Amino acid sequence: MASLPEPVSALVGALGQLPGIGPRSAERLALHLVQSEAGQVKQLAEALVTATERIELCVTCGALTETQPCALCTDDRRDSTTVCVVETAVDVINVEKSGAFRGRFHVLGGKISPLNGVDPEDLRIAQLEARMDGVREVILALGTDVEGDATSNYLAQRLTAKGVKVTRIAHGLPAGSGLEYADDLTLSHALKGRREM
Amino acid sequence: MHLAHLRLRDFRNYTRLDADFEPGFHLLLGRNAQGKTNILEALHLLATLRSFRGVGSAAMVRHGQPGWFVGGRAIGTSTHDVRIYWSSRERRLTLDQQPIKRLTDYLGTFRTVAFCTEDLTLVKGAGRGRRRFLDFLLTQTVPGYLPLLQRYTRAVRARNALLKRKPIDEASLDSFTAEVIQLGNQLIAHRHDLMPALAPRIQAAHKRIAPNGEELRVELIPSVKKDFAAELELTRDRERKHGATIIGPHRDEIALLLHDRSAADYASEGQKRTIAIALKIAQAEHLTEIHGAPPVLLIDDVMGELDEHRRQGFLPLLEKCGSGRGQVFMTCTEENWPHDLNRVLQRWKIHNGTLLPC
Repeated sequence: MASLPEPVSALVGALGQLPGIGPRSAERLALHLVQSEAGQVKQLAEALVTATERIELCVTCGALTETQPCALCTDDRRDSTTVCVVETAVDVINVEKSGAFRGRFHVLGGKISPLNGVDPEDLRIAQLEARMDGVREVILALGTDVEGDATSNYLAQRLTAKGVKVTRIAHGLPAGSGLEYADDLTLSHALKGRREM
Repeated sequence: MHLAHLRLRDFRNYTRLDADFEPGFHLLLGRNAQGKTNILEALHLLATLRSFRGVGSAAMVRHGQPGWFVGGRAIGTSTHDVRIYWSSRERRLTLDQQPIKRLTDYLGTFRTVAFCTEDLTLVKGAGRGRRRFLDFLLTQTVPGYLPLLQRYTRAVRARNALLKRKPIDEASLDSFTAEVIQLGNQLIAHRHDLMPALAPRIQAAHKRIAPNGEELRVELIPSVKKDFAAELELTRDRERKHGATIIGPHRDEIALLLHDRSAADYASEGQKRTIAIALKIAQAEHLTEIHGAPPVLLIDDVMGELDEHRRQGFLPLLEKCGSGRGQVFMTCTEENWPHDLNRVLQRWKIHNGTLLPC
């Protein structure tokens, strides 16, 4: 990399910070960009700046938004008596894509993880509790690792004390695939969560 | 199951090694410090991704080189190509040219049981070694045991981190306690299921190789007697003082009793060695029983230490594993190999990092 001009290696360094971009890809992207048409690059730079300036986190739910509060929080057609709790703002988009949920969202901003120094106070739990007026059900849609499970336990305890019904999304087989693609643990969860037909 | 091909690059004292092995009984002969055990270590690494010497990957690189490579072709019900590369900057594990992301997708491709001098710590050493012995067997025989163990370990570590903090966040602690109990109970159930099959095997193996009249008893001493949740509640004050979860399957112990007294404290060195070998024989037999085919046996200089009687007790397992499509690798110093092994031996001479048939 010593042979690259200084501004190019600075660009490589900046691109390399992005998720999923290794040193090789960063170098390829940087070399591509410095050789592109000036107008094209300018457009990209402007798009980057505008996007980062205009997108922020919704003060109510924590999802990515352009307006405050976000469209999901202000849409009257959505059911405000159910709230789906997720870890990250990206999870909101994923649940939205499924089209199966028409209530409100709440982004926690992570999960309780004593080994990484994340305490309940570091998460948006107080904000969640402050939203409980008129809410009948809270659906927990957190990950299923140890920290995700423990955070679900934690929230269930705190919210049921407030008289809210707390449910957790099921985990089992991925839809539309055979048993052969499921790992042992998923399959055993799926068996435990079986339903009568 | 057998290993048909072994390839080493910059591994221990081997610069390059490519060797083909038939099923059967292989005798690795050579003077001390020529690299006999290193071959067994590489085979064990292919099966478990760990050294049986209990050292890290950095210790296995040839002096002055950046990294090592160990590859092999294992033939069981089907043929698999395994490649492991390690350097301080990169590690790669592939099975049939595909990178392996989760350990559970790999383990079981190639199975070995190693007999080595370090086994003595199973009897002499701390409980951790004996728990690992159980966990190794369960990992190799119960699908889902390894991820369960990893989850449990993580939950206990998280819980300990919470216990160390002052003041303790009770609500967070409760939420991790629920995880520890739920996962711990599953581990406990698996260990309790294994013992009725395993303990008699260890005792029977010991009877075959120990002098007449010596009786070994093997018992699981569970840390949790009946109800994990209730017992955890009872240790409340003590665990807060220690800042750690002090009961649970991570504190289970296996008692090895010779005439009702702890073997670690009362047995002679020779008796301890016999017990260690009995544990390993039982391990190999259990794997054979569950999987229908014997694991590849790796025997490091152990036979030389055994007297005539104990050798005779060991032979049936060797015969079984070395016959059919099975394989046994045994290291011996110059011609000190057991002549009572009258089956066909494939002899290899090891000299200063080279392996040649002889």
